[in-house]
Amino acid sequence: MIRVAAVGDVHLGGDACGHLRPALEELPQVADVLLLAGDLTRHGTVDEAECVAAEFRDLGVPVIAVLGNHDYHSDQQEKITELLTDAGLSVLEGESTVVTVGAERLAVAGVKGFGLGFAGRSCSDFGEPESKAFAGHGKQVAARLARALDGLAGEADRVVALSHYSPVADTLLGEPPEIYAFLGNYLLAEAIDAADVDLAVHGHAHAGTEKGVTAGGTRVRNVAQPVLRRAYAVYDL
Amino acid sequence: MGGNPTPEDPYYLQARIERRLAEDPDSAELGVRVAIHAGEVYLTGDVPSDERRRHVVAAALAAAGGRRVHDDLAVTCAEPPTTAEDLR
Repeated sequence: MIRVAAVGDVHLGGDACGHLRPALEELPQVADVLLLAGDLTRHGTVDEAECVAAEFRDLGVPVIAVLGNHDYHSDQQEKITELLTDAGLSVLEGESTVVTVGAERLAVAGVKGFGLGFAGRSCSDFGEPESKAFAGHGKQVAARLARALDGLAGEADRVVALSHYSPVADTLLGEPPEIYAFLGNYLLAEAIDAADVDLAVHGHAHAGTEKGVTAGGTRVRNVAQPVLRRAYAVYDL
Repeated sequence: MGGNPTPEDPYYLQARIERRLAEDPDSAELGVRVAIHAGEVYLTGDVPSDERRRHVVAAALAAAGGRRVHDDLAVTCAEPPTTAEDLR
């Protein structure tokens, strides 16, 4: 068994710095790895990222993260990635990593993801340049996740897909349906279902629902902290 | 022809406050819900800290055109979980 802790949308910075640390001190007793599902900062500034680094460094378990849209807001995403990496976190964007837990291996493929929408209500790569840019980015990030997942099941006992945006509409329940296209992207789920994935974890939808499933039967969990209403969730895989 | 909504119509007021909450650097909050009832503004949702809560309310007040703003926000719980979910 591998115990996977996860949380997203912690939006650290200002007086929220240190908010989670007391709950994280006992993490090694309840989990083997911590996944961070993006929106670690509020404005995506380097100062806020330093707060994130202090919050999640030296926890006694591997910490694997993706960034979210807030972490891109100040165009400092590369500096933030570097800073978090220096603090010992693995920051994934179209990449994967494998951690060993006892005799088992856990592989995590991570990507920020993007909007696009879901079957029957998705955007197309068509029309004005702005529309093409939106849909095109949605397609690109899903292709990145597909590449990161490719062959991963052969390298590990368990595989998790980590993103900020949602692969399914299930976990958006509670959000206004009109904004689903900005919250998730069915192509992420298609990439997940094409691989042998045990769990998909995402954030971004603060008013959504924790539990969902892809069309292909992969469990999906929305770990946005306002949804969990606790410091993190733990899933036994 | 439809009605003749003004900039103070509740529909536009709600949208203006939502935009302010997202775009004001002090709030930068996309997850707070705004509702207008009986001409007054109600804010609901979770924010990470007390300071963030104050910033969100201040941003809403700045866009509310003198209307009363009700703070029904909550600070996100940061307690550890008491159970794990078994997905084996």
